[in-house]
Amino acid sequence: MKRVFTALITVLLGASLIFGIASYLHLSSLQNPPVVATIDGTAQTAQGILPHAYISLSTYPDSLAGEHGPSGGVHPDWVSYGPSTDITLPAHSLVTMTITQYDSGEVLNNPYFAHVWGTVATPGDGTADGQMLLDGQPVSEVDPEHIGHTFTLHDLTSPSQDSLFVSVPLPAVDDSLMPDTGYTNTPHVITFSFITGGAGHYIWNCEYPCGDGTYKKFGDVMAARAFMSGTVTVA
Amino acid sequence: MSTTTRGPIPNGGGLMRRLNLGTAILTGFIFAFIGWYIAGKVFGFGDGPDNSWGRDRVWIITMSLWAIGFMTGIGAFVGPVRWVMGKDQSFEDQMYLAGKNQGISRYFKFTTDHKVVGVQYLIVTMLLFFVGGILAMLIRTDLISKNTEIFGSQTYNAVVGLHGIIMIIATIIMVTGPFGNFVVPIMIGARDMAFPRLNALSLWLIASVVPILLSAVFLGGIPTGWSAYEPLGLQAPPGMDSYLMTIIIFAISSGVAGANIVTTVVKMRARGMTWNRTPIFVYGVVASVGLAIPAFPTFMASQVMSGFDRAAGGVFFDTAAGGNDWLYTNLFWLMGHPEVYVILIPGLAAMMEYLPVFVRKPLFNFNAAVLGIAGIVGLSVMVWAHHMYMTGWAPNLNAPFMLTTELISVPTGMLFLVFIGTLWRGRVWARLPMLAVYAMLWNFIIGGLTGIYLSDVPVDVALHGSMYVTAHFHYTLMGGAFVGAMGAVMYWFPKMTGRMFDEKIGAWGFWISQIGFNVTFLGMFAVGLAGQPRRVSSYSSLFATGNLVSSIGAYTIFTGMLIFLAAIIHSWTSGEIAPANPWGAKTLEWQVPTPVPLENFEVLPVITSDPYGYGVPDRLLEPIREPVHTGDHS
Amino acid sequence: MSEHLDDQLEAQLPADKFRAWTKRPYIRHVFLIWLGLTILFEIFGPVQAHLMGAPASEAMKAIEDTMSLFTYTAAPVAALVISVVLYSIFGWRQPKGAGPSNESPAIKTNGPVTTAWVVISSLLCVFLLIWGLGEMNSLAPRNNGVKPLVIDAIGNQWVWTFKYPDNGNIESNQLYMPKDQPVVFHVSSVDVVHSLWIVQLGVKIDANPERVTLAHVTPTVIGRFDVRCAELCGLYHAHMQTNAVVVSPDDFNTWVANGGHA
Repeated sequence: MKRVFTALITVLLGASLIFGIASYLHLSSLQNPPVVATIDGTAQTAQGILPHAYISLSTYPDSLAGEHGPSGGVHPDWVSYGPSTDITLPAHSLVTMTITQYDSGEVLNNPYFAHVWGTVATPGDGTADGQMLLDGQPVSEVDPEHIGHTFTLHDLTSPSQDSLFVSVPLPAVDDSLMPDTGYTNTPHVITFSFITGGAGHYIWNCEYPCGDGTYKKFGDVMAARAFMSGTVTVA
Repeated sequence: MSTTTRGPIPNGGGLMRRLNLGTAILTGFIFAFIGWYIAGKVFGFGDGPDNSWGRDRVWIITMSLWAIGFMTGIGAFVGPVRWVMGKDQSFEDQMYLAGKNQGISRYFKFTTDHKVVGVQYLIVTMLLFFVGGILAMLIRTDLISKNTEIFGSQTYNAVVGLHGIIMIIATIIMVTGPFGNFVVPIMIGARDMAFPRLNALSLWLIASVVPILLSAVFLGGIPTGWSAYEPLGLQAPPGMDSYLMTIIIFAISSGVAGANIVTTVVKMRARGMTWNRTPIFVYGVVASVGLAIPAFPTFMASQVMSGFDRAAGGVFFDTAAGGNDWLYTNLFWLMGHPEVYVILIPGLAAMMEYLPVFVRKPLFNFNAAVLGIAGIVGLSVMVWAHHMYMTGWAPNLNAPFMLTTELISVPTGMLFLVFIGTLWRGRVWARLPMLAVYAMLWNFIIGGLTGIYLSDVPVDVALHGSMYVTAHFHYTLMGGAFVGAMGAVMYWFPKMTGRMFDEKIGAWGFWISQIGFNVTFLGMFAVGLAGQPRRVSSYSSLFATGNLVSSIGAYTIFTGMLIFLAAIIHSWTSGEIAPANPWGAKTLEWQVPTPVPLENFEVLPVITSDPYGYGVPDRLLEPIREPVHTGDHS
Repeated sequence: MSEHLDDQLEAQLPADKFRAWTKRPYIRHVFLIWLGLTILFEIFGPVQAHLMGAPASEAMKAIEDTMSLFTYTAAPVAALVISVVLYSIFGWRQPKGAGPSNESPAIKTNGPVTTAWVVISSLLCVFLLIWGLGEMNSLAPRNNGVKPLVIDAIGNQWVWTFKYPDNGNIESNQLYMPKDQPVVFHVSSVDVVHSLWIVQLGVKIDANPERVTLAHVTPTVIGRFDVRCAELCGLYHAHMQTNAVVVSPDDFNTWVANGGHA
């Protein structure tokens, strides 16, 4: 009898240990609530009239204004996206995303990401398919030697969700315009649009190497969640 | 615990008698803190572009000083220090070091008695398996469903690498540590190891490694997989410093242990124990630790180089600066493939050792068993590049490496022949260790045959880097070697603990874990064939069913293993008292009293026949040994 | 009982001995179990090929055929081990509660059986090797006068990109290929080691930084296939995937003319 008791206690202790650690890891992985795109009217697209959704993000040279709160979390000096790195978009919609880019930068590992990929024309701002609006000017590529970040939404191969690939370069703010404290008053503003398919879960990340001091600058901030990468939920 | 008293042990007698695990941890922390503080002041605590090496320097220095402090505090350097000061140890000192008359406290000291070291190894191994098992459960928990990011990919990757390296270290020491130390010297009729202090040194080096390895949990984990391929490792957080320090110290420990065990077996076998009369388990242990001697230094070298790259601006593997990633891959697998046989051989050998006891037949074709082990050892150092078919390194060498890899199935097949030949027509005494042999054969035939698919270069195109590989090596290492170690625990439990293993609870635990094991990894074969890569935190909906099945199986394994653990704890604390030879086995370790006295034998035995003389009618049975008085060795 | 049988057999001819041996009950039982298990295990041949999906190239077809062939060859071997295991458990075991036996036959070794075992396993091994070499030879790229289409596959941390130097350096995140056209991939990486895996086409080769590795394939089926990364490459290794799209040569030309847009 005693041995059955010992066995039961061991299994219970083990199970609660797993449950405890898993819960702790789950809770500690939670970030800010996701940024949700707001639908405002409809838009005429190549795929017919679709709901038109808007969403805004920013990229900062530190972590004090973004995802990790005013304290900047464990690594206040790491660059970050904000207000959250988790994004929720409506399905079968035209999404217009505006990114305000406050960070400086240098050269890409792969110039592919200096091009605009996967976008469609934003109604009314003069852009065509495959372009984005950079500080009011429609462009389809920028200088690969002068990139601050990119927003690259991965295409996943999956029978249960639609293909979705969007990648836009976010040009660097000139070093001379970067203040010693606070953020530049002349950020780049990038606006682009794309069409979502059915519901699905996707990943995005920045393809500009921001992890200074590590191999190919893809360590540290690039190897950590919720600074230069995040999730996209299409619902 | 004590045989004859040789006069009182003097009280006092210096610092040596005050050292134990507590002082070791204290000294380790003091050294580590001093190292951390000074290194941090010199090189900077922070990270970032201006200090890309400083952070790793600080952690490597901290960990090195922890190990040095820990070894100092446990008393590992007492001997050399006293020797250099001209105060070599007295007989009383040596008896003290052997743990004479110290009861339970000798398990927490730098004790040289091989039986104490064996039990210490068993505890360390079980601790590592427990942690590694928890990590495995976290992996399968995260993979229950394809889209719920329970921890997210960063934590997932960190956990996968930690699980891998912890389990690899645990499986390397799981048989040669506990049983190679406790059983082998008695089995060959020796009073202790050839170098008892080196024996304690190898154990305490591993003990010092455990906190270093676990520190990775707080330093960002090991998000590179256990293979830590470069240059990915260069991007990883300071958890990689824990990894590389662990490997370096572990390689020292295994080298020391290997030299010790090989010397002991070669030089200290009892009179009359010719190689033909040496039990097969001894061959298995020697093959394992002997194979580790050439294999691990390359791994150690790769980690020294990796440490230079991380902390001192070396460019061994930094491809952008002229380093060579294929150099790492080769150094790693030069260890990595012999290493799987380092793990496998002693597990199988333990089962070959006790199979005749339960079948009551001689081991079938002992010579084939020896030759099979030797063949595996010989070939295993020539197959490493089959892990590299798809790297693009030397495609012209794929065919020769396919040849050597497929050849290894011949000596492995000989071991299967030994097993089924011994089973053939044997009236099996179906105790739990015996049933574990059946489970091992089922698992290992699956693991072995799937290895043949992987050895074929074109097939490996489809399977390399997939979950199929993960399932394959779990079938060999967990289904084969680890089940062998579970059998060894059950078989030698009465000798090591003085109590019988509870086969009722043990059987529940064992069979639940075996069913769970097959469910988990058969599911993993399926998703691997369908195209799921290894080490992924998320997967396509194609693989949803297979992953759910694997996760359910994993929870079943975990339940079973916990019940098995409960059986060990229950049996160890309040099991039935064991007689000296509960199995009626003929090897020497069962002929000495339980608990085994210090120095094992009053009188060293002389061997006159082989250890597997079962099934011969009693009238024909020769006396196994005749005690010969050799006089007191002191 | 079998002990007596052994004694009687001593003086007989080898053929008679063998015939008498096959008449022993346990030989028949083990043989029947072996036969049943062999048939059961053979099923895994087609099951494996089924799980691997429909092949979309000659190479993948050869891989699946090899998997099946190896399974057909391995099934009797596995069945032999398992049939002895099963008969040991259900036929030869001591009754429950009985202690260790005194009646197990003291078979120390058996020369002919060992010889046969080693010879057969060596022959199987040689067969595997010859088969593998033949397969590698038949899959090796051949220059049949057709210039292969060159595609640069570039691994970036967590995205594959493809470049078509023969087609005006157009770039794409999806891998477009014309049907029945030999393709050679020039595979490289801008950062860590990746591994280009086109699942249904049977292509896998590591993408190494500062180097170019080659892989060849001729797609034979029009459709959409999976490109994954098969070497742990960091945070989003699991998400480093895209589609391989095999289209008709005409559709491919249209795609090229559109600058890499479908």
